[in-house]
Amino acid sequence: MTRQKRSHHRLKRAVAPYLYLSPSLLIIGLLMLLPMVTVIGYSFQNSAVLRRDPSFAGLKHYQAIFADPVFWASLWHTLYFTCMSVVFHMTIGMVFALMLNSDRINPTLRNILRVLYILPWLFTAVIIAVIWRLLLEPNGVVSSVLMQMGIIGSKVEWFSSPATALHAVTFANIWAGYPLFMVSLLAGLQGIPKDFYEAADIDGAKAYQKLIFITIPQLMPIIISISLLDFIWTMQVFPLIWITTGGGPIYSTEVLSTYTYKLAFSSYNLSQASASAVVILLISLGLTLFYIRYQKAR
Amino acid sequence: MAEVVLENICKTYGNNFHAIDQLNLSVEDGEFLILVGPSGCGKSTALRMIAGLEDITSGSLRIGGVDVVDMPPKDRDIAMVFQSYALYPHMTVSENIAFSMRLAGKSKAERKKRVDEIAKTLQLTPLLDSKPANLSGGQRQRVAMGRAMVREPAAFLMDEPLSNLDAKLRVQMRAEITSLQKQLGVTTIYVTHDQIEAMTMGDRVAVLKGGVLQQVDTPKRLYESPVNAFVAGFIGSPSMNLFEATLTGDELMSGTFAIRLQDAAFVRRPGLRSYDGGKVVFGIRPEDLYDSSLESGRKYQTIPAKVTSIEELGSEQIVHLNIDAIRVDSGDPDAVDDFGLASNAVARFEPISAVHSGSEIRLAVDDAKFHFFDPETHLAI
Repeated sequence: MTRQKRSHHRLKRAVAPYLYLSPSLLIIGLLMLLPMVTVIGYSFQNSAVLRRDPSFAGLKHYQAIFADPVFWASLWHTLYFTCMSVVFHMTIGMVFALMLNSDRINPTLRNILRVLYILPWLFTAVIIAVIWRLLLEPNGVVSSVLMQMGIIGSKVEWFSSPATALHAVTFANIWAGYPLFMVSLLAGLQGIPKDFYEAADIDGAKAYQKLIFITIPQLMPIIISISLLDFIWTMQVFPLIWITTGGGPIYSTEVLSTYTYKLAFSSYNLSQASASAVVILLISLGLTLFYIRYQKAR
Repeated sequence: MAEVVLENICKTYGNNFHAIDQLNLSVEDGEFLILVGPSGCGKSTALRMIAGLEDITSGSLRIGGVDVVDMPPKDRDIAMVFQSYALYPHMTVSENIAFSMRLAGKSKAERKKRVDEIAKTLQLTPLLDSKPANLSGGQRQRVAMGRAMVREPAAFLMDEPLSNLDAKLRVQMRAEITSLQKQLGVTTIYVTHDQIEAMTMGDRVAVLKGGVLQQVDTPKRLYESPVNAFVAGFIGSPSMNLFEATLTGDELMSGTFAIRLQDAAFVRRPGLRSYDGGKVVFGIRPEDLYDSSLESGRKYQTIPAKVTSIEELGSEQIVHLNIDAIRVDSGDPDAVDDFGLASNAVARFEPISAVHSGSEIRLAVDDAKFHFFDPETHLAI
C-alpha cells in the first residue's frame, strides 16, 4: 500500500510540469507548428489547397523558385534591406542612447529628446508606410526641402524609381526600427557602473577610449542579442514594403515576403509560394539557432 | 611619492548642503592616513575631491607641492582603489592591470614586463589570464591593488576597499595592504567606516563627522585622548560608555550612586574643578569596567548594575548592563547598535566571570580611566 502510494506520488510529480506547460504547448502547436508543417507539406504538392487530392511534386517547386531570377533578386533585396536596417538601427540607436545618457545635455532637453526619439516606435507599420509615402512623393516635403537646399535639382520619385526605391524603403524601415536599439542600449548604458568610467578617468582615458574599451564591450551582449533578433524580424518585414512600393517598380523592392505573397495571392501558385515560405523559414531558423546558441553560451 | 596637503577645502552642493567644511589635512610623504567616520560624514567625498572625481568648491589641494585643484584626475599622479574594485569584467586580470599603460601607449613588451612584476608581488601570476568573474573577493581586491600599483603613483587613494569581503578575509587583507604600503612607501589615504580598520592600519587617523574634521592623531592617542565625546564614542568597539553626572567636590554623583575621584583626575585635568557643582559627561571604556567578584575588579569602587544580556566571545564576555545613570549620545549613529533596549552600558568581562542575564551585580569601575567632557559642547575637559 505504502509502495503504491509512493509510486502514485512520484507519477504525479513527474506529470505536473507537463500539465502546467500544456496550455501554452497546445496554443503553440495549433497556431505555429500545425501551420508550419502544413506549409512544408504544401511545398511538396502540386496545386496545393486548390485541389482536393493534390499529387506529390517532390522538389519541383523548389527547383522552380531557384530557377526564377525574381527569387534571387528578392533574396538579394532582402539581404540588403535587412543588413542596412540592422547596421543603421544599431548605429542610430547607439548614438541616440549615448546622447540620452549623457550628463552634458540639459535634463529638460534630454526628456524632450527621449520622447521625440521614441516616437517612431509608437506608429504601426501601416502608418509609417503612409507617412513616408506622403513625405517622399515627388511633390512631398523631402523633395521640396532638398531642392530648396540645392541638394537635388529636380523632383525625385523616391518610391517609383528603380534606382531609389530600395534605398527609400530601407530608409523608412531604419527610421521605424531604431528605437528598439535605442531603448535597449540606453538600459544597458544605465547599467554600466559609474566606477568603470571614474577608474578610466584616473587612468587617463579619453572619451573615445572609454567608448571603445568600456562602453561597447559592456554593451556587447545587448548589441549581439538585439542585432540577431532585428535580423530575424527585419527579414520578414512585409506591410511596410507592400504599402509603399508593393515590391516594385519592376521588382526593384521585391523581397522574399512580397515575392511569396504574390505567388500565393496574385498567381494563386500556393505550392510554389509554400516552397518560398519554407526557404524564408530555413533562413530564419538558421539565425534563430545561432541566437539560441549565443544565449546558451552566455 | 608625495605629500598631500588639503587647506580649507569645502564642498557645497547645489542645495546648499555642506558635504565638507573647511577641511585642513596634511598627509606626509609615505604616510598611511585613514579617513574614518560614520555614514554620510563626507569621507568618501573628501577622497573623491583629492582624486579629482568631485569638484572642490573652495580651498587648496596640493599633491607633491603642486596645486591640483583645476587638474583632471589623470594629471594628479594618483591611483585609486574603488569599493567595488571597478575591474572591467570583459578584460583578463592582466589586461585590467595593464589598462592604464595601454592608454598611455606603452608597448606590449613593456606592459607585460610591468604586469609580471606586479603579479609576482601580489601573487597573481597564475591568475593573469582569468576574468574577474572567476576570482574570489580577495583575489579581485589584489587585482584592484595591482591596477593602482602599475601606475607608480605619488599617492594611493582607497575607498573602503575591504567592505565587500567577509570578516575573515578582511582581517587577512588588512594585513596585506598594510605590509604592501610599508613595502612600497607610497603616501596612502584610505577611507573606511570601520574603526577597527582605522585603528589597525593607519599611521594616523582623521575622524570626520558631518563634513567637519574632529581629530587627526595616531590610533593610540585617538583611543586614549579623544578630543570630544563623538571621537570617544566612535573609536573603540564596543563604544565608550558616556553618562551624565554631577560633580560635587571630588565625587561624581549619578542617580543612586557616587564615585569618588582620585586627586590625579584633577591634576591631569585642571579644568575639571570648574565644573564643581555642575553637570559633566564622563566616559568609561568597556574594558575599564570589571566584575567585582573577580580578582581583577576587587581594587576598584563599585556601583550597582543589572545584567541585561551577555555575548560570549570565548576570550571575553561582552556584558550589556543597566546602571542608574543617564546615557549620553555621542552623536555616532553606529554606536547605537552596541546597546540593547534595556541596557545603557557595555562592559568587557573576563571569560571566567559567572554573571548571567538578569542578575544584579556590583560593577567595579576604574575611575582613573575616566574621560570627562563638557555637557554642552561635548569637548574633552
